[in-house]
Amino acid sequence: MPTRKVLLKYPEHLIKEPVLFQMAKQFDVMPNIRRARVTETVGEIVAELEGAADNLAAGIRYLEERGVQVQPLEGDVVE
Amino acid sequence: MSCVRGLRCKECGRDYPIAAVYVCEFCFGPLEVQYNYEQAAQSMTRDAIAARPRNLWRYRELLPLDGEPTDGLQSGFTPFIRAHNLARELGVRDLYIKNDGVNFPTLSYKDRVVPVAIAKAKELGFDTVGCASTGNLANAVAAHGARAGLRRYIFIPTGLEAGKVMGTLVYQPTLVAVEGNYDDVNRLCSEITNKYHWAFVNVNMRPYYTEGAKTYGFEVGEQLGWRAPDNLVCPVAGGTILPKIWKSFHELERLGLIPSVRTRMFAAQAATCAPVVTAVHRGSDIIPPMKPAPLAESVDTSLRIGNPADGPYVVQAVRQSDGWAEMATNEEIIAAMQLLARTEGIWTETAGGTTLAVAKKLIEQGRIRRDETTVICITGNGLKTLEAVRERLGKPIPIAATLAAFEERVLGA
Ligand SMILES: Cc1ncc(COP(=O)(O)O)c(C=O)c1O
Ligand SMILES: [Zn+2]
Repeated sequence: MPTRKVLLKYPEHLIKEPVLFQMAKQFDVMPNIRRARVTETVGEIVAELEGAADNLAAGIRYLEERGVQVQPLEGDVVE
Repeated sequence: MSCVRGLRCKECGRDYPIAAVYVCEFCFGPLEVQYNYEQAAQSMTRDAIAARPRNLWRYRELLPLDGEPTDGLQSGFTPFIRAHNLARELGVRDLYIKNDGVNFPTLSYKDRVVPVAIAKAKELGFDTVGCASTGNLANAVAAHGARAGLRRYIFIPTGLEAGKVMGTLVYQPTLVAVEGNYDDVNRLCSEITNKYHWAFVNVNMRPYYTEGAKTYGFEVGEQLGWRAPDNLVCPVAGGTILPKIWKSFHELERLGLIPSVRTRMFAAQAATCAPVVTAVHRGSDIIPPMKPAPLAESVDTSLRIGNPADGPYVVQAVRQSDGWAEMATNEEIIAAMQLLARTEGIWTETAGGTTLAVAKKLIEQGRIRRDETTVICITGNGLKTLEAVRERLGKPIPIAATLAAFEERVLGA
């Protein structure tokens, strides 16, 4: 099964919402959370997402549409 | 000769051997090079360093190479000047400019990180290098990669300044302009890195690449007479250089080359894209999700990164050092570029304008004290960002080739 390492950033209004769980259920994607941090104004989850390629892509699109910023981590670039 | 011990995860501390890896398998944190400092201290004395060539390999015990360096032998050791005129203008006593706008050969701080990444890529057996860039990195990878005889795939966002585009094309790499902003380029390059066996200097070579930025700080320490400044103001894009300067001062201290470090680190960004400044102002070490302002509204494109990979480490260094972060408006950036040119005869690009504008602001706020030693990091050259000042500089006075015309039109006699 393909996997994607991602950094998810949640704006304040989504911190209390189970967005990742809803995505996982709806698209049959398994999130494996490696790190997470939450402050008053923003939440951050580092996770590996595993699922069929189409489901992964759709799931990531769903997260973005809900307002979560999805940053790729493997191949994460600095400049 | 090498003092390198391996790689370590910056988040969870797990160790890894030297290879083309860059994220921890367990927590996906970034990996950083570890050194044997006791061994480095034996050969890195002030006298030994002073006798070495004036290039970035001067501090090679603390750079991640096994063999003899053959890249960037003319890079680094850029001018460090005491800025009397600018100091008078800003009302401070002891002000310095470290000028990487004249780094060799591509006129920016990227001439430090790229030779280190390329040297390591060669040691690891790669024949193709690449990068995702806001412009200056593209220039450096194109040039250093040409000399090293490597194939080069370079990715930039569309709409960069002509100087940065031509300053890449001239070295004849494969240059790809990706629709979207830097963060979109970044995303694409991450997919390419996963698929092709290429050395992306700021992706899979990143642990080595970023170490090259320490040389900026080593030089400041040496050129200041073996001490660290009280304040240092540094531009931030992806967040490489600021934390590495901070690290470099502590390494110099650890080797007994400078007294204990009390430097406050100040981060500078353009108001059109200031995710790290926003995080510092909020007291958060999570960089808030942020989209840069549209290109047409952004004078500064070098620092235009909405998702800075090493942003959290900038926030950390700023906080640990009791520093601060500020942003500059387009107007302030351009005014500062002109101020530096007028007072010190240095023409910097927009990133330098941002840094000086922020330094000025911090002095006015009282966060930088007027009686302390302050270093302003100038990291790029004004020739690359002509567009920013083109409409601001006036025109030459046109005259006929006669003395009378000169006296009438110029002297107003
Ligand atoms: C001229 C210049 N200065 C500073 C930076 C800051 O870079 P970073 O924070 O990624 O080290 C850049 C990045 O592209 C740059 O081009
Ligand atoms: Zn880790």
